[in-house]
Amino acid sequence: MEKAEKKWRWGFHRWIVLALIILNVVAVNLYAPVQPHIQVAAENIITEPLFTLPVIGDFYLTNSLIATILMYIVIILIALAVRNSWKKNPVAPKGIAGVFEMLVDMIYNMTETTAGKYAAKVFPWFASIVIVLLFANLMKLIPGFESIGVLRHSEHGYEIQALGNGTWSTLLNKEAHNGGYTLVPFLRGVSTDLNFTTALALIAVVMIQVIGVQANGVRYFEKFINVRNIFKKPLFGVIDFIVGLLELISEFAKILSFTFRLFGNMFSGMVLLAVVGVMIPVFLPSGLMLFEVFIGVIQALVFGMLTMVFMAQATQGHGAEEEQK
Amino acid sequence: MSGDIVMAAKMIGAGLAMIGALGGGIGVGLSVQGAVQGMARNPDTYGNLLSSMILGIAFSEAIAIYCLVIAFLMLFVV
Repeated sequence: MEKAEKKWRWGFHRWIVLALIILNVVAVNLYAPVQPHIQVAAENIITEPLFTLPVIGDFYLTNSLIATILMYIVIILIALAVRNSWKKNPVAPKGIAGVFEMLVDMIYNMTETTAGKYAAKVFPWFASIVIVLLFANLMKLIPGFESIGVLRHSEHGYEIQALGNGTWSTLLNKEAHNGGYTLVPFLRGVSTDLNFTTALALIAVVMIQVIGVQANGVRYFEKFINVRNIFKKPLFGVIDFIVGLLELISEFAKILSFTFRLFGNMFSGMVLLAVVGVMIPVFLPSGLMLFEVFIGVIQALVFGMLTMVFMAQATQGHGAEEEQK
Repeated sequence: MSGDIVMAAKMIGAGLAMIGALGGGIGVGLSVQGAVQGMARNPDTYGNLLSSMILGIAFSEAIAIYCLVIAFLMLFVV
């Protein structure tokens, strides 16, 4: 009996998928997709700056800023929901709280195997980076993301057509000869803005140093400027000093690699979806979207895991190891 | 005319920048090879190997991603 019901459910879902595919083909034929204007920097929604600081410059309302604010609102709401559900039922949380318990439990176990006794100190950074990036990368799934926005005059633009009473218009897949319009979306993927990824990488790398200092005191900096052996054993002392300088450079390289790994993955996903969505608008974008979800989750985990591993390395201490030898 | 030459140079430069993805591909292949061989010899280590493998893949993939970023910068920014 149960089996038969299951079979019927599967058949039902199959018809939904078929209907969506047919809808997709019809929609693509009726309304051809338009190649969006691709730009590395986040687009400004309002052309005038919000405010101006004397040395730093103008501040604009960019679309990735709106998406960031939306992301934080969603995270705060979910945190409140988890807290409520935790208060109601502290033993076995239900629903979204259960999901987050599982996630946090997994992250904590991972931290404990790597960081050992410093797990409690490293864990909050790992967990918050993973949760923020999970939401940042998966927000792309909201319909209308990167596709609803303001129309802006442009030299290589497209023609537009008014919808209804003219408040909303849609782009047509026809290149305008003298100054058409391009779309500036209201929301843009948060991690496709270099400012966001740089800020996150700076936070991660600075906190790696802070945790290193908390664990080893001032001796943490001996890792970078290593003059301990330079008088006792001149040759090896000099080599140690140069290795220390390389460590110093690698700290700065960490910022770059954190920044561009996340940005490159998410931005290439955005460009891939945009280009493939114009060339092959049927079937393929759905599969690619699934792949992008996978990439987003993996990149969130990788960013957090690397932060955790580097923090664990910073706590271990360079000096104590040599004394043991 | 000069605009066309600049455009062509951008395209060629982006294409050349992507040669670097070769190394990333080789790196990903080697790390997966090592991890799968380890899993085949000792299936109990599956979980540990999987997480280290994904970490290693992310590291070597980052190199290819740098090339992609350079290619994008050439195409869309400069």
